[in-house]
Amino acid sequence: MQTTENKGLVIFFYVCIAVFSVICLVPFVLAVSGSLSTESRIAAEGYSFWPRGFTFETYQFLFGSKAEQILRAYSMSLIVTVLGTLTAVLVTTAYAYVISVKGFRLKNFFAFFAYFTMLFSGGTLPWYLLSTKYYHLGDTLLGLFIPYVLSVFLMFLMANYFRSIPHEIVESAQIDGAGHLRIFFSIMIPLGRVGLVTISLFYALQFWNDFYLPLMLVTDQDLYTIQYLMYNMMANIQFLASGNAAQVGGAIIAPPLETAKMAMTCLTVLPIAILYPFLQGFFVKGIIVGSVKG
Amino acid sequence: MMQEARPDIPGQMVPQAQPASARRFRKSLRKDSSLYLLALPGIIILILFAYLPMSGLILVFKNYNFNDGIFGSPWAGFANFEFFFSSMEDALRATRNTVMLNALYMLTGTFFSVAIAIILNELRSKWFIKITQSVMFFPYFISWIIIGAILFSLLDYDKGILNQLFQALGLSQMDWYSSPWLFVVILVLANIWKSAGYGAIIYYAVLQGVDTSYYEAARIDGASRWQIITKITVPMLIPSIILMTLLGIGGMLKGDLSMIMGVTFLNPLLLPTTDIIDVYVYRTAIRSGEFGFASAITLYQSVFGFVLVLLANKLAGWYDKDSKLF
Repeated sequence: MQTTENKGLVIFFYVCIAVFSVICLVPFVLAVSGSLSTESRIAAEGYSFWPRGFTFETYQFLFGSKAEQILRAYSMSLIVTVLGTLTAVLVTTAYAYVISVKGFRLKNFFAFFAYFTMLFSGGTLPWYLLSTKYYHLGDTLLGLFIPYVLSVFLMFLMANYFRSIPHEIVESAQIDGAGHLRIFFSIMIPLGRVGLVTISLFYALQFWNDFYLPLMLVTDQDLYTIQYLMYNMMANIQFLASGNAAQVGGAIIAPPLETAKMAMTCLTVLPIAILYPFLQGFFVKGIIVGSVKG
Repeated sequence: MMQEARPDIPGQMVPQAQPASARRFRKSLRKDSSLYLLALPGIIILILFAYLPMSGLILVFKNYNFNDGIFGSPWAGFANFEFFFSSMEDALRATRNTVMLNALYMLTGTFFSVAIAIILNELRSKWFIKITQSVMFFPYFISWIIIGAILFSLLDYDKGILNQLFQALGLSQMDWYSSPWLFVVILVLANIWKSAGYGAIIYYAVLQGVDTSYYEAARIDGASRWQIITKITVPMLIPSIILMTLLGIGGMLKGDLSMIMGVTFLNPLLLPTTDIIDVYVYRTAIRSGEFGFASAITLYQSVFGFVLVLLANKLAGWYDKDSKLF
């Protein structure tokens, strides 16, 4: 039973959500349109939501002369994402299992040991100096994922999943003589599937999108990830624009500058856009389990 | 058996089970050796990347040089602090920017997330909710670099869409990338664009858990939609809003280097408002090698940040004992 006042409000609500949803997608339309435009028309007339002089020139250029560099950065990102996610999930679930074991004397100590790092940190500088000078992670593949393999937040999320597994299952396994390693690998991991998928996705997203680690630790162009390649491209164009051309290093400044940026944007977002429909539901489930109590 | 701590609030588990003696610890090492083995990689990572960097804070009393490293460099006494206070202006600017941007992100982000969640809760069309929720969540998956690249095509002086629009409307073009204060607005809007949908999911999930009998009772009493929103929905969200806000206060001095780098490319013209503490440390120490000064500001950031965490926890305790973080 709706009054007219309520009807107006509901329509207003629908419009609000629809408008914001459109705003969330519009920038991507802009990127796609830019990548399919001709460089000269972008330079003369500016960006637009509809391709100016529809052409695949930019992509042909990228896959022609820049193919090697882009493919290397792409595969680097892929390697970092896969290795990083595997290592991170293993380290995280193992730690989460330990603090979720009923009756383990030190589980609270270990929980606090991890939690304290969320409260207090040494900051960027000591972290950077230790990583480069003492751990020698500068310009190494390890440096691109090792510092991120234990997210304390995701670890506690995973511990919550483990705690939700009925204790009787563990008990009966123990009676049958299974040790913790066996319980962890052949009971907890299979039963904690949903949690495992959730944290894997969060880690994968983080590794794919990260450019903090390459920014801090990488100078070797062979180790550039796709995000960092993109950053260099953008930063160098900024330098050019602000008349600071002398500082431009040997990065990729290619003739179709503007359209190339947009094409790279599309290429970087593409894997996420393709996988998104399949993965989105898991993320939502993960956030809900992680944030709502009881 | 000892009582289980509440599983969802890790900080409540104060270590109460420390081994009373080395003998008992050795026994436990034998008995639970596989547990220690499983925790070991995590412990090593925490020590390497969280605990040892804390000890690196002694840098502030050192005259750092790269050859001797953190522990070998000669002591400098309080020289770095003198330097710190003598160039107080930059440090204060970085602090102000960090706190200002974080506060703005928190206020606007919470407002939009809550508003979206409330509106979604009022809508009945399942497919509409599903589709729009997916679309609004999507920007959360995009890195700041990509957002920066797209923003450039919106804001560029000659080629940007916004200036084309301004021209078409007969307004003068704006030079966004050299307007520090205008850019604050852009950063705030970019942050809403990226994270409001993500935040909305959290609040929407809370609302899905609300007992429907409240709504039924209100409807029978003849409450209007607006009254239901303000009298039932909003109060239901307040505990979550407060918890999220308190969690945010502790991170007030932590800036998002990736965001600033990705969106402004460290454009010098924008530094008056975008030079947050992390950017400042990156510029002075990692790019220019002035370690002493940067370590003083790092120490200040850590200590002040820790105090904020304790304060937020205290506030949470006053509001509601169960909301305490630890």
